[in-house]
Amino acid sequence: MTSNNPKIITYIDNIPSHLSLKVNPNEEMRLELASFSLMKDTIIDVDVATNASFIGAYADFSTGSFSFKVNVYLKGEGASCLWKLASLSKNADKKVFEPSVYHQVGHASALMSNYGIVRDSSSLIFAGESVIAKGSIKSSTRQEAKIIVFDKDGSGRASPILRIGDNDVLASHSASIGRLNEEHLFYLESRGLSHEEAKRLITLGYLKPIEDYFSDSKIKNRIDMAIEGGI
Amino acid sequence: MATLSIKNLYVSAKGTPILRGVNLDVNEGETMALLGPNGHGKSTLLAAIMGNPAYTVDKGSIFLGDQDVLKMSVDARSKAGLFLAMQYPSEIPGLNSSDFLKAAMNAHREKPLSLFEFYNKLQTAYKQMGIPFEMTKRNLNEGFSGGEKKRNEILQMLLLEPKLSLLDEIDSGLDVDAMQIVAKAIRNEQAKGMGFLVISHYARLYSMIHPTKAAVLINGKIALQGGPDIIERIDKNGYEWIHDELGIDIEKEIDAPMNNVSIGACATKVKINDKQ
Repeated sequence: MTSNNPKIITYIDNIPSHLSLKVNPNEEMRLELASFSLMKDTIIDVDVATNASFIGAYADFSTGSFSFKVNVYLKGEGASCLWKLASLSKNADKKVFEPSVYHQVGHASALMSNYGIVRDSSSLIFAGESVIAKGSIKSSTRQEAKIIVFDKDGSGRASPILRIGDNDVLASHSASIGRLNEEHLFYLESRGLSHEEAKRLITLGYLKPIEDYFSDSKIKNRIDMAIEGGI
Repeated sequence: MATLSIKNLYVSAKGTPILRGVNLDVNEGETMALLGPNGHGKSTLLAAIMGNPAYTVDKGSIFLGDQDVLKMSVDARSKAGLFLAMQYPSEIPGLNSSDFLKAAMNAHREKPLSLFEFYNKLQTAYKQMGIPFEMTKRNLNEGFSGGEKKRNEILQMLLLEPKLSLLDEIDSGLDVDAMQIVAKAIRNEQAKGMGFLVISHYARLYSMIHPTKAAVLINGKIALQGGPDIIERIDKNGYEWIHDELGIDIEKEIDAPMNNVSIGACATKVKINDKQ
């Protein structure tokens, strides 16, 4: 059982270049990251023990080109990991995200979910891996990546990797990259929403859900402002 | 006047002609059944009326009363009183149903609804459609079953109160109970004066909503128009008699070109050349 009082770790902008975290048995940890200014290369390692849960959320509205890695090690049975990323890349920035999870024992679950919007001539890459070690039966793991590329010089790439070392596991991944979906726009416009409003709502749908993972309403508001300003 | 008047309409998709001279009038408050073999342009006609950018109108006109529909943006068509219940409603990730409905309803009004009015209308409509109110918290159509999506289309119709609703196979994916609910909602709106242009492959839905007229679309044209007796005839005998009686050769399904979508490795879906 996880405790009722999760440990919350928050970094706004000053995210350390290397962070090592440990989630003890039966504990819950929430890592809340948000960046709005210049961002640099970062590596985060997280060990998750038996029946412990790790929830990591990163709202990235930073500038600059960087590589961001998060490695979550599920070390005990019943461990779980939920990773959520919402990223907006602009100008000529090149951002690479590698959210990875390593199932080292069985009966552990992970969902790695990454959403991004690419503007201008920037590039955004989601390239995490989900690895299930041999013997880690009854594990469940999922990778999701969705990117909308707004402008014609921008580029988005999602290459989720699954490495499965044993049978009797659940593993899945999905990725979609593309321009704003014409069918989605048509659907919303056919309900009376203007082209601009439809575009805005679809984009909001990619970024706004990250707010649910922040406990401080001031940070939620700041993310809201960054979304409205960025799209 | 909310008469829909279509004259000599030619529509193509990615360069392939689909509609080739459609003439059709749907009068105010009328329910017209639109029949025809698969691939002869029924859905294309509804999509073109609503302004789906995947289809190009090459020739002809569509008027709603005295308004030139083809000159209007998609949202303006909605505001003018047209509604299209789609065969495959889009799933919009991250867009909360209730936020969407509020935005759509307010787009149809000069003054935004008060929160109280909005929730009242929403609750009534969800109840009428037999959809749990918790579904307002879900993302628009995301993870909905086929039947839930179809009910959700009719729910939007009830909330947006169009003059003319275009229903594209609203009954596919519905179980018997859901079909009753949908048919009842349609009958209620008929009684209030809403007009309908309805595509269905099954006589069952038609028998529940009693169309006043029927039209048959063959080879991209209206081959035949008349009363609801046509529905029964087609249900019993198919389309061959039209060939025999009217001398129309029924072409094989008109193949619209595939969408430019490639499925690559890792199920990565990349849309190529998709215009913004």
